[in-house]
Amino acid sequence: MKLQRRQALVVAAATTLLAATAAGCGSSSPSSSTPATSSTFGVNATGTVQFWARTVSKTLAQKLVSEFNATHKNLQVKLTLTSINDDTTSLATSIRAGDPPDVVGLNDIDMPSFTSNGSFMNLTQYINKLPYKADLSPGHLGLGTYNGQEYGVPYWADLSVLWYNKTLFSQAGLNPNDPPTTYAQILSDAQAINKLGHGINGFTFAGDCEGCLGFTVQPGIWADGSYLTNGPIATQTANITGNTALTQALTLYREMWTQHLVPDNVRTDDGTTWGEDFAAGKIGIMPGGYGQVVDLVKPSQLGTEFMDSPLPGTNGGYSTFDGGDDFAIPAAAKNPSGAWEFIQWVLETQQQEQYPGLGATPVRTDVLTPAFSAAHPEDAVALKALAKGYAPVTMVYNQMFNEAGGPWFQMFTTAVYDGNMTLALQQGQSGLARLIQQNAPS
Amino acid sequence: MTTPNRVLSRRVPLIGHATGQPRDGGRNGTIRWSSLKARQTRTGIALIAPAFAMVAIFVLFPLGFAVYISLTNWPLIGSYHFIGAQNYTELIHDPQFIHSVLFTLLYTAIVTGPIFIVGYAMAVLVRSGRFGSVFFRTAFFLPFIVGLATESFMALLELQPDSGAADFLLAKLHLASIHTAWTVSYGLSLTAICVFVTWFASGLTMMLLMAGMQGIPAELYEAANVDGATWWQKEIRITIPLLRRNIALALIISVIGSFLAFNQFYILTEGGPGTSTQPVVMWIYEEAFVQYHLGYATAGAITLVVVTGIISAVQFYLLRDERDQKKAVRR
Repeated sequence: MKLQRRQALVVAAATTLLAATAAGCGSSSPSSSTPATSSTFGVNATGTVQFWARTVSKTLAQKLVSEFNATHKNLQVKLTLTSINDDTTSLATSIRAGDPPDVVGLNDIDMPSFTSNGSFMNLTQYINKLPYKADLSPGHLGLGTYNGQEYGVPYWADLSVLWYNKTLFSQAGLNPNDPPTTYAQILSDAQAINKLGHGINGFTFAGDCEGCLGFTVQPGIWADGSYLTNGPIATQTANITGNTALTQALTLYREMWTQHLVPDNVRTDDGTTWGEDFAAGKIGIMPGGYGQVVDLVKPSQLGTEFMDSPLPGTNGGYSTFDGGDDFAIPAAAKNPSGAWEFIQWVLETQQQEQYPGLGATPVRTDVLTPAFSAAHPEDAVALKALAKGYAPVTMVYNQMFNEAGGPWFQMFTTAVYDGNMTLALQQGQSGLARLIQQNAPS
Repeated sequence: MTTPNRVLSRRVPLIGHATGQPRDGGRNGTIRWSSLKARQTRTGIALIAPAFAMVAIFVLFPLGFAVYISLTNWPLIGSYHFIGAQNYTELIHDPQFIHSVLFTLLYTAIVTGPIFIVGYAMAVLVRSGRFGSVFFRTAFFLPFIVGLATESFMALLELQPDSGAADFLLAKLHLASIHTAWTVSYGLSLTAICVFVTWFASGLTMMLLMAGMQGIPAELYEAANVDGATWWQKEIRITIPLLRRNIALALIISVIGSFLAFNQFYILTEGGPGTSTQPVVMWIYEEAFVQYHLGYATAGAITLVVVTGIISAVQFYLLRDERDQKKAVRR
């Protein structure tokens, strides 16, 4: 028995040593991308393209891949859908293992985490050759840019807009074709609709969903020309304290809460049922996503009962959250030429015009033609706002805006539910500054 | 009475050279016994080798690698460097990690007792084999079978104000308002989760204790009845002492489960409000997959493994029964 125990201990020690040695053989940082210079890059490519897309874009991705494969016999795209909470982890793991996909549809706010360390191929020269580059979503492009070089190109847009119920507007004596364009108008319209009673509320929001609030509250701040972070990633700073636009936005939501212009259960709505009360005709005004409401209501209700308008700022102006995905080609992709050919095909007008029917917004503003506006008036509103869209280019977006314990939600809770604006701004400033400092690129 | 050596030396043919002291049966008997021992040892090693290989590959190797990762600044994306014990030094000064540890300890302290007491009561109810005991046994164990994640999502809906069953029932009983928002305040969410987990986990405790109860000889209870013992005296003097090992197992599993709590907090509160209900495992998850600080998160995980191991060892020691104590004395 003593002999067995010694043997077991020796094996265990050797195993551990082997693990440490194998791991210590060196870091496995992805190789920096070397742009291909061939003029045939992305033209008549052959083989297979491994395409990873997020499950949230499933309908769009499956349709696009199916059509591409039907029309490109020598180049086939193989689609893999990644789960909503696993996409960045899966991609990072595959890059570290040296076996990434050829093209990925990545949540655009996650792009800075990858562009800053050479994980993606430099696409600058190829993007510059696109004849419609000036019409591509500036927010999406900005998120894929690092040190002046472009590593991502827009894939699809998930934009935030201000939805309103035209029927309730009429019942409240408001003009159903005159949506609010300032915070004051939003508040007064919500007050008027709230007086209808019988379970009707003037406004709603997902009050326990930090990401939903970031998606819908921030555009009003940007419409006022203000941002919550300043500067490029390398020298970024927090801009919370003294941010008047932010204070105005939080004050608007505080008024909605204290005046009971929202359902009581918004406080616990974590996004799971967000928008269902609006789709049921119980809410007058709801900031939300374009695709979100399109998925909840019948097509016949769009434009008749429900309509959208751009998200306004304090005293006018508008903006939108440039959500959605970017295309990126990992530096170690096996078929980058095939990937770029697929990307260019997706960005063609013919494919972009299919997006509204698939729950997405196109990423080219030149698609907004009179014919497009007539066929898709609600998406035309969102697409019009795309030109003024934005999304924060920061390494800490998830930590800041998408976490229950993050500074954004802590600030919102303190300001809106507790009514302490001063403390809220202090919490936001210190929290965001700490995150930026902890995650500064090395 | 012959010794095994003497018995074997008459039956096993000579197969090798002698080792050790001569015994009755001569040099040939010692040779046979040593060869048999060696063959038995090789056979034993061969039989446990597959299991040991599995443990080595799926437990020891990952554990060793995790220890190495905890000594680096390993990010999810990008290069890493060896930084020694820096992660561990930062851990003990990290207020959020300390808060998560203290919250986990508080949560464990709150739920362990009720889970055991409710589980014991269930076991008493179903151990007898009387009519309905099979039904109740199934009903009590069903929450554990269905799974914590699924039931957490169900609880998330039922704890909603105005629409959830919890507020509806409690309002009918005049115990709470129909508008009570359970998941957005520290006290209410902790209360709701502790009640929920007690309901979930007591079924497993019931099964562990019931198995032990059914192994206690009926004659002991009959003898106690003859002596006029009450039900409570029988539980205290007979059942609980003889259930010591089962109780130890149930408590250790319960404590380890509480230390590793994640699903219910992630689904019901996401660690909120703020990070007030964030247990240690959720802290590890956030550091690794949201902050992308894999090395730092792994240091937290290794710390959790060590602490859980120490507490489990202490529990084993404190809850050992007389048989284990006697074995220790004999050694």
